[in-house]
Amino acid sequence: MVLKIVFTVIVLAGINGVLASLLVIAERFFSNYGECKITINGNKRFTVTGGSTLLSTLNVRKIFLPSACGGKGTCGYCKCKVTDGAGPLLPTEEPLLTKEEIENRFRLACQLKVKQDIAIHIPDELFNIKEYKAEVTLIKDLTYDIKLIRLRLPDTDEIHFTAGQYIQLQTEPYEKVKEIAPRAYSIASPSSEKKHIDLMIRLIPEGICTTWVHCYLKEGVRVGFTGPMGDFRLHEGTGEIIMVAGGSGMAPMVSILDVIVREKIERKVTYFFGAVTKKDLFFMEEMAMFEREIPNFTFVPALSQPEPDDDWKGEVGLITIPLGRYLKSIDASVAQAYMCGSPGMIKACANILNANGISNDRIYYDPFA
Amino acid sequence: MKQHPEEQNIRQNFEPGKISKDGFLGGDTRHIHDIIREDQRTLSRLGLSREMVAQRLQWMIEEGKKGLEGVVDKGDFTIQVRWARGMVSCPFGESGLHHKLMVTVFLKKLTKEMKYTQLSVHMIAEHGFFGGKQSTYRLDPEKLGLLVELGKE
Repeated sequence: MVLKIVFTVIVLAGINGVLASLLVIAERFFSNYGECKITINGNKRFTVTGGSTLLSTLNVRKIFLPSACGGKGTCGYCKCKVTDGAGPLLPTEEPLLTKEEIENRFRLACQLKVKQDIAIHIPDELFNIKEYKAEVTLIKDLTYDIKLIRLRLPDTDEIHFTAGQYIQLQTEPYEKVKEIAPRAYSIASPSSEKKHIDLMIRLIPEGICTTWVHCYLKEGVRVGFTGPMGDFRLHEGTGEIIMVAGGSGMAPMVSILDVIVREKIERKVTYFFGAVTKKDLFFMEEMAMFEREIPNFTFVPALSQPEPDDDWKGEVGLITIPLGRYLKSIDASVAQAYMCGSPGMIKACANILNANGISNDRIYYDPFA
Repeated sequence: MKQHPEEQNIRQNFEPGKISKDGFLGGDTRHIHDIIREDQRTLSRLGLSREMVAQRLQWMIEEGKKGLEGVVDKGDFTIQVRWARGMVSCPFGESGLHHKLMVTVFLKKLTKEMKYTQLSVHMIAEHGFFGGKQSTYRLDPEKLGLLVELGKE
């Protein structure tokens, strides 16, 4: 009886082994798609060995499509237009593409495998995205939960970005976090500065990257990031610039204010900064400096729930209150609004802006999403 | 019982460092289905449903959002919703992302705090998952009866 059981186990193990071997051989044979030509925007061409996803294939070539989920097919950020060689739409792509996108031949690069020659179209600005390694040269507390970090590039490298853009910072493993996690942060430093970038990073409970920055990152270490990304930037115009951003949402505004100084832009600028209590305020000296350097710049901080000890004499209430009051006092017919923060704040302020004559085509925002 | 590879992959999503720093299990070694089943039994005993709980929790989020990160006073309790940049995927593996909202509900009479996230609400509504024991954002079904009654007119 025992011998029979042992014999059966050996036979079954043998069958499993043969089947596993067949699978390996089959995978090597059937997933060897040979050489595949990739054409980008009709004029950039290169040849790769097929079989990998379009996203990883492009990454190897240092072409970075945005991705928030690391290629797991859950964010939809890596969609791009595939004009030829895409094959049928996959079930894993459908939930993240609109009907219009599907009709216009958009596909998810992280799901689509390169199996034949393929032609794609991606925005030109994506070619400006590079991988960088930089040294952390400054970690400074701005508030109890926001730090400013400075990342300096090696002598051989430079970053070229537009004020308002962001980068994806890559964490290093720590404690039980074993994988690199990329997270987006707006650049707070001047765009004229090519050798370093500043980031404002707020500690989030349970946050993988923010815990790493606040508790583990040290000056002198090297970190990786990719960028620059995003299309939030200052637009041409003659009307007043209304800025709304609180907390670390200030980062792109600081970079844009620097452009206004350097380029001597003569438009009126008013920046509404929403916070809860006085301990949430920071960069007050820097804002005072901008008020001196920009002839028509006013910084308006508002505390929604000042504490008695704050001895606060400024605006009180949700940021929508001083914003709405101000908009009623100006001609907003050509004004532009720039916002950076949570979708909730952006929605609340957009309603106020619309109600006071600033239409959506003159509202620009970088939602924290 | 040996886990299917897909189940093993999903289990890994619940571990620390994959989606959140401390994960969703808090050291709970039970199978996820067992965690869900036992919490469901508790809910049934209390006459609650996961839909009822999720609806109430979502209502609190919507009320809390109006405070733009400040504390919203609702009489017997307060709500504060903080919104972080980025989106987070569900550890159960389906497509779609969820906003990084962290909610703190403070029950004045009990001087007790309850914390959860937008993702918590999704996992309760869609999967009946309240979090492993001792996980950071676990909502214990035993204690949810009072929460469900809060703010009702």
